[in-house]
Amino acid sequence: MSESKFEKVSSLVDNYQNNEGHSAELFEQLNTDSVLSDTWSHYHLIGDVLRDELPSKISLDFSTQIAQAIADEPTVLAPKKLTLFNVVKAKVVQFSKPFGQVAIAASAAGLMILGVQQNVAQNEIVMPSQVFQTTPLAGFAAPVSFNTQSANRLSQKQIYIEQQRRFQALLSDHHQQVKLSASKNSSQILSTLEVEDSAK
Amino acid sequence: MKVLIYLLLLLSVNFLVIAADAPSVKPTTKESQKTTPISAKLWLERLSYSLKTLNFNTSFVVVKNNHAEPYHWFNGRDENDLELEIFATLNGPRHDFLRKGNVVSYIEPEVAPYSVESEKIRGPIPAILSGDISTIENGYEFISVGRSRVLGRVAQLIRIVSKEQDRFGYWLWLDQESGLLLKLAIISLKGQLLEQIQFTHLDITDSLADTLIQLKQADLPPIIEVPNINQEPELTWQVSWLPTGFKQIKANRHSMSSTNQPVEFILFSDGLVDVSVYVSASKEKQRVAEFVMDGATVVLNQVVNGFEISVVGKIPSNTAKTIANSIGIRATP
Repeated sequence: MSESKFEKVSSLVDNYQNNEGHSAELFEQLNTDSVLSDTWSHYHLIGDVLRDELPSKISLDFSTQIAQAIADEPTVLAPKKLTLFNVVKAKVVQFSKPFGQVAIAASAAGLMILGVQQNVAQNEIVMPSQVFQTTPLAGFAAPVSFNTQSANRLSQKQIYIEQQRRFQALLSDHHQQVKLSASKNSSQILSTLEVEDSAK
Repeated sequence: MKVLIYLLLLLSVNFLVIAADAPSVKPTTKESQKTTPISAKLWLERLSYSLKTLNFNTSFVVVKNNHAEPYHWFNGRDENDLELEIFATLNGPRHDFLRKGNVVSYIEPEVAPYSVESEKIRGPIPAILSGDISTIENGYEFISVGRSRVLGRVAQLIRIVSKEQDRFGYWLWLDQESGLLLKLAIISLKGQLLEQIQFTHLDITDSLADTLIQLKQADLPPIIEVPNINQEPELTWQVSWLPTGFKQIKANRHSMSSTNQPVEFILFSDGLVDVSVYVSASKEKQRVAEFVMDGATVVLNQVVNGFEISVVGKIPSNTAKTIANSIGIRATP
């Protein structure tokens, strides 16, 4: 069986191709089988010697050196950048897909963690309350293919967004109530309270 | 006539302050120890007086969370003693706080403009600074610290420090010449800067600024009527611990402005700091307390036995926690 394989390699080296389908299979094997690929390079070397085409200096592992060089150079520099980019991109995609509009709010909430709350009004424009009320469950109504782990991660993000939204709402309501508190009405209340206190 | 007397008083105060500060080079004598607290309070009274009487237009920047929010501030008093005041944000959506005598209008992007009857704008500058500073003497001490240069002027640093270490400290740099505010910092108990307001220019003028004359002629939005039904309800819970000096300002039931969640609400104030307490039913059973700091404003949120409890205000997180934990069912009298 292997004898015929070597024969096929030999005929391939000598440029005798009798069957297209076979050669494709052979190439596949050449790639995977190290013995076969060694045979392939040996046959070439033999052929070169017979045809008197040898260079002045023979380097048997020339091909491996090239492979090494290729592996060393571009794969180290360029793809590393690529992978970093891919990770970031993948995160964004993963994040934005399940949530839809909420992702926008999430990014706003993300900003808030750094700045907690720059401006109530500005943030509120980014995340109008209506959008929230209709979507909070969207994250949980996940497709069937979602496994438990990602569902957990999802709900954690959901919890985080919920939390940020709560803080935001509390802050803006606090400011609102303080502004409204300064009405004449409340000062009357205060004075009646003080009267009550002194009565006690 | 009254004004004249006050001015004379202020002048004498100035001399007093200088006299009090001069011996600070020497080891502190008994006399200077006695006069220092008085002078700090007089500085604050002078600030309040200046804020009420002077025509000025100024800009300042509120710095918190690595973010600066610039404001323009106009203040003045017309020939009929009508006080006019404008705070306006300069970046982003417009927030204008207007005051004409006893009517304050808030014009903000997310809500329809409204007015309330009040003598003070609840804006970035603590309202008490233009009011009666002696009302917060219960909870705070006033300390005159020393002089420095702020906004190219000679400034006196006054510290407002809580007596019981349960509130933040306020540091005020006041203009030696006019008594006006040049810088304000809110400092945590550990001495960390949480929030500061730095003035960037100050113009004191004899006449009203044009913008204030326009405000005088403008019609303000209608005064909001708060329905009485939801005010002062019989709440089934109470806050049993508050730092000294805090009083209940109001209580109500309302829906949160952005989420429409119904809450029961009490607002407390010690004159300088406002603290909101929210209680509402929650779907969750328990959730540990979570904090967020927005500059000096802490937001605490926790769920206890199915009730969501939140505390918001410019207080240390420990104080907020103690307030939240002191909430319980109201004992029937």
